[in-house]
Amino acid sequence: MSEHKPRKTSEPKPPRSTGWVAEFSNEHALLEAARKVRDSGYTKTDAFTPFPVHGIDEALGIKPTILPFIVLCAGTTGLLTALLMQWWMNGVDYKYIISGKPFGITPASIPVSFELTILFSAFTSVLGMLALNGLPRLSNPIFTNPRFDRATDDRFFLYVDAGDRYYNRESVKELLSSAHPESLDEVMEDPSPTTLPRPIWLGSLLLVLAGLIPAMIVLNMRAGFSDLPRWHVFFDMDFQPKKKPQQTTTIFADGRTMRPQVEGTIARGQLTEQDPFYLGWDPSKVTLAEVRNPILVSTQDPAAQDPAPAQDPAPAADSPKSEVVVETKPADAATEQKPADPVAVPPAQTAAAPAAGAVPNLPWIDRLPIAADEEHMKLGRTKYEIYCSTCHGYSGFGDGLVAQRAASLLQDTWTPPSSLHLDRVQKQPVGQIFHTISKGQGKMASYASSLTPKERWAIVLYVKALQRSRNATIEDVPVEDRSKLSEAK
Amino acid sequence: MTSPIKQSHIHFAITVSNNSMSLQYDKETIVLPSQWKNKSPILFAAGLALLVTGAVFALFTQGADKSDGVAAFKFVTHSYLANFMYVMTIALGALFFILVQFVARAGWSTSIRRIAELIMSTIPFLAVLFLPIIVLLYANSDALYEWNVRENVHSSVIKAKIDVGYLTKNYFTLRAALYFGLWALMGAWFYSQSRKQDESGDIEHSLLRQKWSGPCIMIFALSASFAAFDWVMSIDADWFSTIFGVYLFAAGMMAFFATMILINAGLQKAGKLQNLVSVEHFHDMGKFMFGFIMFWSYIAFSQLLLYWYGNIPEETYWFAVRLKDGWQYLSYGLIPLHFAIPFLGTMSRHVRRNRPGLVFWAIWVLVVHWLDMTFLIMPNAGPLSLIPLAGHLLGGLGMLFIFFAFFLVRATNVPLVPMRDPRLPESLTYANPIL
Repeated sequence: MSEHKPRKTSEPKPPRSTGWVAEFSNEHALLEAARKVRDSGYTKTDAFTPFPVHGIDEALGIKPTILPFIVLCAGTTGLLTALLMQWWMNGVDYKYIISGKPFGITPASIPVSFELTILFSAFTSVLGMLALNGLPRLSNPIFTNPRFDRATDDRFFLYVDAGDRYYNRESVKELLSSAHPESLDEVMEDPSPTTLPRPIWLGSLLLVLAGLIPAMIVLNMRAGFSDLPRWHVFFDMDFQPKKKPQQTTTIFADGRTMRPQVEGTIARGQLTEQDPFYLGWDPSKVTLAEVRNPILVSTQDPAAQDPAPAQDPAPAADSPKSEVVVETKPADAATEQKPADPVAVPPAQTAAAPAAGAVPNLPWIDRLPIAADEEHMKLGRTKYEIYCSTCHGYSGFGDGLVAQRAASLLQDTWTPPSSLHLDRVQKQPVGQIFHTISKGQGKMASYASSLTPKERWAIVLYVKALQRSRNATIEDVPVEDRSKLSEAK
Repeated sequence: MTSPIKQSHIHFAITVSNNSMSLQYDKETIVLPSQWKNKSPILFAAGLALLVTGAVFALFTQGADKSDGVAAFKFVTHSYLANFMYVMTIALGALFFILVQFVARAGWSTSIRRIAELIMSTIPFLAVLFLPIIVLLYANSDALYEWNVRENVHSSVIKAKIDVGYLTKNYFTLRAALYFGLWALMGAWFYSQSRKQDESGDIEHSLLRQKWSGPCIMIFALSASFAAFDWVMSIDADWFSTIFGVYLFAAGMMAFFATMILINAGLQKAGKLQNLVSVEHFHDMGKFMFGFIMFWSYIAFSQLLLYWYGNIPEETYWFAVRLKDGWQYLSYGLIPLHFAIPFLGTMSRHVRRNRPGLVFWAIWVLVVHWLDMTFLIMPNAGPLSLIPLAGHLLGGLGMLFIFFAFFLVRATNVPLVPMRDPRLPESLTYANPIL
């Protein structure tokens, strides 16, 4: 590679020689000449050919480049950067659970590390190649030779730079001419002035100033005020002749764009809002306003959901369901919760202000809408053991594995699940238990997406059976089976 | 089997004219060294002895601590399959190498192509080595392939694969015959064209092979992939991986280039192929070996990553088996041994152009290829126990001996260079650019 650097000269001087260039008509002649020059000890040489010539590196005596090592270092840096970044981000700074995968470096980090390795290596290859070649470079003195234009066409050039340690004008000329070139010329420094012409300066200045205009307009608009109406690029897209929900209209007498349902019809997918089978309570027994409001309040008001734990002497020890006061049994609920429960308000207040309790007072149905037969009992047991037993336990005492583990971890955010054998739960109508499964309660999530209504009712049936089993008397056992009990004892 | 060549029909002198180049080679440099000749019976006998010794050793040591003949037999059958696949993948690598040379119309490889052709020509012999596995199936044993005895299969997935008729001994045997038939046919035809060109020097033989190499590669890709599913993946028929064939292909190519480096280096050390196989060819084989070390790692990791992400028990258990009972040392060990160390070791061109360095890494690669086959197959035979594994290692050595004996049978009385291939001059003058 030539090491030439154009010197800036303000006044014209006689052009300086920067070396010799020899022209050849084929690559074999070029290779031969290059070997000759190399063997004479010159190192600041270069060849210009219309196509890559095999063996030119060796013929010119070009030493292997250090670029691969630079790229290796850059690639390693990229690899370590990626690993460090991912370890820091996912292992230290912001642990985010993704499908229960471990934190920090995982197999999933490898593709990112691979890509960053490649990115760093690729940029370093290109930029390093340019830097090692001294590029970009606007001009080279060899361009002053008009014959050199054919270097991209059909001629082969060999150049020896004057900066070479052993350079001697006459001996280089002699050496090159002994290779029988087509032509041999001395490369002269470009005599044309190196300063940029004034029009280019002015043009560039104008372009830069013009480029500032959009930014100035934006800044002006950001900082100033204007009384003019907003300018719309696409007026008919910003203002379309259509109505959106919650807007007014003159078309209908009541002025609303949204239309009420036609009397006596049920919209698709809204059957569940009408039938006790899907609700657990009977909507026909109350007006809509009576029902909707408490439900909305109970689900939206955080105070209603989270009963002031500061006042509770043992929030974790006792179930937060304590405030689940069934309106018909207020006395039982109050007596059962021995620590003074702040939310166990008098029944009148509960009825008047449903927001105080998480579960509204609704006309629960107290008869199962499904048959209490063996098939449903089996279904209920299966689903209970899959979905409920993890927290509530197989027997319903609130001692499931999840509850046990959470209790052992002593997490203060954990709310223990209720025992299903508490008196107040025992006294809940079946509709209310169904409602709890469907909508969730306290920390318990809704299971409506996992269980069909029939399965939920089957679970209610099974829960009722569990509760009954704890309060059974000898009379409940069929006469013919009573002897087995005494045998078991 | 090749018949001995009649000396009068062969032109052993090679003349390369490229402006200033004119080389003459006498026939002595392109035939098998005299000390290698007639070694194949000894090698074969030694290999067979090692194979039997290893099997008996494993049978007794595995049975001793388990007092369970079933487990021991299972170990031996798995060991045989692993060692068979060890050499089979190398031979398949040779077949693919030949095909791809003609697809790419490659010139650089001409002077080393005959060695690859000879390795490829061992495939019919290797088919004989596959026969014990077929015999095992027809003896109604489920020691290797669980699906062979339907009554003992518990998985409904495997039962379904049996019931549709895919995993049955008859269809399995038919498919194996088809794979071997296709490979042997392709190999024999490409080899015969090459040998005909030795006589005539006609470029038509090259053009014909170029024409058929494309379709043959497609046949190869499908048959090799399905063979990998049938022979290796179906030892655990519950598990599935569509990339499995590519995995074995990548491993085989890597081991094939290592084999090529060792055979060429060995021949040159015995004074053969002088000036025919140059440092440039070794450099290129080294590059390919380096590339396929990377490719194997890429494929192996791709397979792992998908299963790790999905985290579905029916997919991950294959890895779970390989990450317990002692096998975890081998599985984790493959990461540095099969990827990181040889990758960094063969990265530099100085290593690839250095004969002892390249030979060292070729041996390394052949060892880790054996470890890789062990990793793929042996964990299915039970927990890792080191002493029977020595028997497995003996079997591996034996299989390598037998494989080399087959190669020598093929290479006897055959010129080791495609003497009159029109691309030979290009190969001889080929040079890697200085980087």
